[in-house]
Amino acid sequence: MNKSYNAFKMAQQQFDSIAEHLSLDQGTRSLLRVPMREYHVNIPVKMDDGTVEVFNGFRCQHNDALGPGKGGIRFHPLETIDTVRALSMWMTWKCSVVDIPLGGSKGGVVCDPHHLSTGEQERICRGYMRQIAGALGPVRDVPAPDVMTSAQHMLWMMDEYETITGGKYPGVITGKPVGLGGSLGRTEATGFGVVFTLREALKELNISPSETTASIQGFGNVAQYAIQLFIQLGGTVTCVSCWDQNEAKSFAFSKKDGINLDELRSITDHFGGIDKEKAQDLGYEVLPGEAWIEQSVDILIPAALENQITAENVSKISRSVKIIAEAANGPTTPEADQVLKERGIFVIPDFLANAGGVTCSYFEQVQNNMNYYWEKDEVISKLDIKMTSAFMAVSGLARKNNLFMRDAAYIISVNRVAEACKLRGWT
Amino acid sequence: MSELEFEDSTLVHQLHERAKELECLYLVKKIVNREQQNINDVFEKLVNVIASGWQFPSLCSVRINYAKDTFVSENFSASSWVQSAKLNLRGKPVGEVEVHYNDESVHITNPFLPEEQQLLNTIAERIENFLYQQDLQSTISQWEIAKSDLDSNKKPDWMIILELVEKMDSKLFNKLSRRMLNRLCLLGVEDAQNVLGCLGINKTCDNIPTERDINIPSLKINFELYDKFDQHIFKIASDNLSAEEITSYLNNWIKEDKTGFLVNVLENTNSPLSEIAAAISRFHHLNLANVEISSYSRTNINALFIQRIFTEQIEFIRSAREHIDISDFYSIMQHSIYPNNSHGKLGGKSAGLFIAWQFLKKAGIKVSIPHTWYVSSDYMLKFIYFNNLEEVMEQKYKSLEEIRAEYTNLVQIFKNSDFPLDLVNNLSMAIEDFGEKPIIVRSSSLLEDRFGSAFSGKYKSLFLANQGTKEERLTDVLDAIAEIYASTFSPDPIEYRKEHKLLEFHEEMAIIIQEVVGEKVGDYFFPSFAGVGFGYNEYRWSPKIKKEDGLLRIVPGLGTRAVDRLSDDYPVLICPANPGLKVNPIPSEAIKYSPGKIDVINLKENSFETVNLNELIKNNSGSYPDIEKLFSVYEDDLFKSKNRYQIDGEKDALFFTLEPFIESTDLIKNLKNVLDELNNRLDTIVDIEFAYSKNQLYLLQCRPQAGSSASLPQPIPMDLDENDILFTAKKFVTNGLVDNIEYTVYIDPESYNSISSLKKLERVGRAVGKLNSVLPRRCFILMGPGRWGSRGDIKMGVKVNYSDINNTAMLIEIARKKGDYVPEVSFGTHFFQDLVEASIKYLPLYPDDSNVIFKDAVLTRSKNMLSDILPEFSDLADVVFVTDLKKENDGKILRVLLNEEINEAIALFAEPTTHESTYDVYSHPDVKKEDFWTWRYSMAETIAAGINPDEFGVNAIYIIGSTKNATAGPMSDIDLLIHITGEPEKKKLLSKWLDGWSRCLGRMNYLRTGYKTEKLLDIHYITDFDIEQKTSMAVKIDAVTDAARKLIIGKDDA
Repeated sequence: MNKSYNAFKMAQQQFDSIAEHLSLDQGTRSLLRVPMREYHVNIPVKMDDGTVEVFNGFRCQHNDALGPGKGGIRFHPLETIDTVRALSMWMTWKCSVVDIPLGGSKGGVVCDPHHLSTGEQERICRGYMRQIAGALGPVRDVPAPDVMTSAQHMLWMMDEYETITGGKYPGVITGKPVGLGGSLGRTEATGFGVVFTLREALKELNISPSETTASIQGFGNVAQYAIQLFIQLGGTVTCVSCWDQNEAKSFAFSKKDGINLDELRSITDHFGGIDKEKAQDLGYEVLPGEAWIEQSVDILIPAALENQITAENVSKISRSVKIIAEAANGPTTPEADQVLKERGIFVIPDFLANAGGVTCSYFEQVQNNMNYYWEKDEVISKLDIKMTSAFMAVSGLARKNNLFMRDAAYIISVNRVAEACKLRGWT
Repeated sequence: MSELEFEDSTLVHQLHERAKELECLYLVKKIVNREQQNINDVFEKLVNVIASGWQFPSLCSVRINYAKDTFVSENFSASSWVQSAKLNLRGKPVGEVEVHYNDESVHITNPFLPEEQQLLNTIAERIENFLYQQDLQSTISQWEIAKSDLDSNKKPDWMIILELVEKMDSKLFNKLSRRMLNRLCLLGVEDAQNVLGCLGINKTCDNIPTERDINIPSLKINFELYDKFDQHIFKIASDNLSAEEITSYLNNWIKEDKTGFLVNVLENTNSPLSEIAAAISRFHHLNLANVEISSYSRTNINALFIQRIFTEQIEFIRSAREHIDISDFYSIMQHSIYPNNSHGKLGGKSAGLFIAWQFLKKAGIKVSIPHTWYVSSDYMLKFIYFNNLEEVMEQKYKSLEEIRAEYTNLVQIFKNSDFPLDLVNNLSMAIEDFGEKPIIVRSSSLLEDRFGSAFSGKYKSLFLANQGTKEERLTDVLDAIAEIYASTFSPDPIEYRKEHKLLEFHEEMAIIIQEVVGEKVGDYFFPSFAGVGFGYNEYRWSPKIKKEDGLLRIVPGLGTRAVDRLSDDYPVLICPANPGLKVNPIPSEAIKYSPGKIDVINLKENSFETVNLNELIKNNSGSYPDIEKLFSVYEDDLFKSKNRYQIDGEKDALFFTLEPFIESTDLIKNLKNVLDELNNRLDTIVDIEFAYSKNQLYLLQCRPQAGSSASLPQPIPMDLDENDILFTAKKFVTNGLVDNIEYTVYIDPESYNSISSLKKLERVGRAVGKLNSVLPRRCFILMGPGRWGSRGDIKMGVKVNYSDINNTAMLIEIARKKGDYVPEVSFGTHFFQDLVEASIKYLPLYPDDSNVIFKDAVLTRSKNMLSDILPEFSDLADVVFVTDLKKENDGKILRVLLNEEINEAIALFAEPTTHESTYDVYSHPDVKKEDFWTWRYSMAETIAAGINPDEFGVNAIYIIGSTKNATAGPMSDIDLLIHITGEPEKKKLLSKWLDGWSRCLGRMNYLRTGYKTEKLLDIHYITDFDIEQKTSMAVKIDAVTDAARKLIIGKDDA
């Protein structure tokens, strides 16, 4: 037996345990443990030096019972079909938990943009789309940027798709710039989404936001907008941490009576790094990066990298902490998660808390399909409604069945997909 | 008036006088240099300006006698107070210039200053030059007239020419007939050979002595005999050649003859620079550069000029002599400053730049060089003698410690010394010429940038904002020159010269003063961008890039940031042969590695500064030269090129990418051509500095590409005992040496691949990060499967950030075959620019290829130190193998030799070498290797002994790192681990006390070794809590490997 780590097997195991929990029937289980469709393509590309190279590409459509597939396209030199399979399954659950009518997909091309000129990358994008256009489309499967792909790659693919079909279909792909089919509010979406769920969690715990303090790890896009909305709600942020590129370590910036977001933004570089000296001049106490987790606050928001709350540091979390909102992907290790459960800290799990991003992609597509674009306020208020109801559903289930939020979120999402399959008569 | 004030006022007076004289000379020059004018006009103008240079101009009057004419100034009256200078033309007196003082106004003493006679002589010299030019010009015009007459007279052209020459210049006439005879003989004309026979020369013209009769003197022939045959020779010519042929021969020979004076001056090693300048000026004004000169005489002039002005290095002359535009000599000499009777040169840097520029001009590549003035090298000696500083010449024979100790003082002595007056005067002319444009004062020593020795960056280059009054600006320039002169005696270059056996080379320092390329933006001045180009690319981020494709490092603003490796910022790297292949194709990478700072000249503060790039743009209402071409706007997850109507410098997220520029211009292609052309022409691999401003590309420097020994190709030894080899590689090898490796950290690809839990895979990355912080910096190498720092599937490579690997000496990626395919390696792309800036070597290994060696068993079967060093990661002991190489190999270390030329690398076990690390591989003649750590150790003991444990709250003090391990080098810190009680007040006191020690030791270390570190101590504080938790450095206490050693504290008190 090959005991080597395999992302797809991991994803299947996780699904199996939930399926067991839900006592899903064998047919549904068999269908949901594998992608419904897989496309393997070979893309011939003329290189700058006149030679031809053939690149392998994939697209996995795990499940589209709830709606057209949704998921990124990755460029990676060591891409494997198993990774893409696993990621497409994750996408199914992620869309389902926020209850948007989209299924789960993922794709990729085996290549390294580091060894390709811009022109060569464009030809790969167009070549990929030529091979796979039939399987994609606004009502079939909608890609988005992912690892080592950007809005530019999406635009090339969209253009190729429109050339093939002879019509304007901006909804074939998301992650486009505003003006070329992109949606307003995308920058704010993830950060705001985190705070919408946080606000609901506070309501549930009967705490007024204005009486709360929060400490945040990270000061990138997501963190900054989360802070902005949290302060608007009346909350106080007493500490943020960020990565210092020059010293290659992180630092935390604390101010007991609350940070001033605009002030900090003005001394922050494009990478979310805060200028230490200037912060000190502004009266911030500069602490080692790990200090963010030790603050005596009500709320912790990890908004940086995965595996930040670990078995080693979970004990440093202050007794005063009541809620952890996971803005980053996978910030809590399973061991630490166990401790949080034991301590009764309310955790808003990552794929619910940070679903603002995918929800906004959905909005982008909706606007594309009707060729009418909302103002930012409208996008944000629709986001609020989606996030709030998603939260209510998960927390309602958790309360009713005395489940932890993370487990409740998985159960809800798998259930929704399973039910759709059933109603469609697939299983 | 105090003595000091008196001196001051005299000085001011004298300076004032010199300035007047200079002004006067300038006016004279202006009048005589004007083209196309007649002699009378010139003299009439001259008599009225000359007086302005004298002490009392209003009382002066001037008279010029020339031939039969007399010219006087308006107020002229002859007097007994008179200074005069003779005027000569072709060695014969033709007149004189006189300056008179009105008798009545002069009462007691001689009103003339001695300097005024010199001034008058100089003026006379200028007038003589002018007369000579006029004379030659008239000869030429007579020619033209004669030629046009020919047609009407029906006499053949050549006959009229000949008659004219015979009348005017009999020597030339003889020369012409001699050459005609030779030519006819060569053509095989029998009559001509008979003439030679009459002259007693072998009829067949082959009377050249052969090897055999070399020891018998050949017969002397009286050339006067030629005279008799002159007419006869031309008769033969007219019988055998057409009239056109004869005319064309004569024309060419006459023209060539006119360049004779230049050759004479250049060939005469005694002729000073001033004579060379005069000859070149004459050559220029006669417009001789544009007439046809035969290629051999052109080459001759070029070779001689290079030899006299730039360098006597044969290789250099050989490669350059064919490609120079003689007319450019004029501009150089016009902007050169040299003492009287100078035999100095303009130095290596000037030579490199001038020649490179010439090559490029010839090749039709559009490149400019900045406006430049040159100060000849012998002025430095004049400066030294003028100030009685001769003793500095002995400096180079002192010990380095002495040199270092005295250097700071020496700089101040130089800065406080006086400059010879003529130098000040000449510089003041240059300053006038530059106006208030920023300048850079650069060294250009005779040793710099010579072929075969890369003597780079050892001497100073100083930026001057050059703002303020002329006096202020002059003072700044003098100050800068003094500092550069002093740098000749600074420890660094002397040490380098010692090592390369160049100490006895007669080093002189010429100076280049260059206008800084750039434009004004707010208070700042800088070029749109600048950079360095390398003929060889030593840092290739893709297998598609070849070494000879070259490499460009480009930064916004002044190029200083491209020249140096940056620890806190990044230049834009471009492969000129393949600009589309970006180092950072992913937007997030491009953001991270885009330049954040810019070097500029602050015109308001009169200083050189480094400022934040974005702040500079925002503070100047969004303006930056060529902003829309150089910056991309990051918006909606992509980089956009915007035009100037769309771009908003204040609001947009701007990144210096050069992308629009690369796409829309030929700049990169042009730079590639520059590198190719120079590589070929100079027959060596070059590196260049360049700047771009106002649509112009400027070349700032050109020299042979330098490489530290750590980046040179290493010879790969043959016939090694296979037991001594750890691995070999034959693919994608760069050049370099990674030496004295004591530890390997090896992630076994097979075991890594068989890990089934994600958590464990991630733990491998964390273990590497921890090892990186615990193992001695640059003394270990990391070897692991696939792609280090991979963003995608964790199985493809260990998940690490740059900070997890930043202390390694080398990063190795192992591509093991999986089934039938070999996975692609990353070439370090995920942190490529970090590796470049930190000089961390990268190498991929393909162990499954035939003909390579890879002994993983050596690494997996040795004692694995992992559990001892990091007990918390002992579960990874079957994946992560940490080997103490010295322990396992009887004290031998690992040495990796890389040679790109033959695409081979080898890692072998060898005895440790004496230098500390691969990063500064030069030995220290004065200090032995052992001294580095023994001295540090004894200092650490002294510190410990001096600590009062109660006062400072200290429980114990340990020594760790290189000092403890006896591996310290000249740059090493002294690492102390101090176990403190944790009382804040006491800790504060202790830190302060240690800080004093640290600075003091830093200074002592500098004097001993030449390595500048402000502080030498690296203090790690730990508390009881840390020891209990074994956090951070506390692991070192009682550790299994590399344990901290306890020092005795507070001995002094007892």
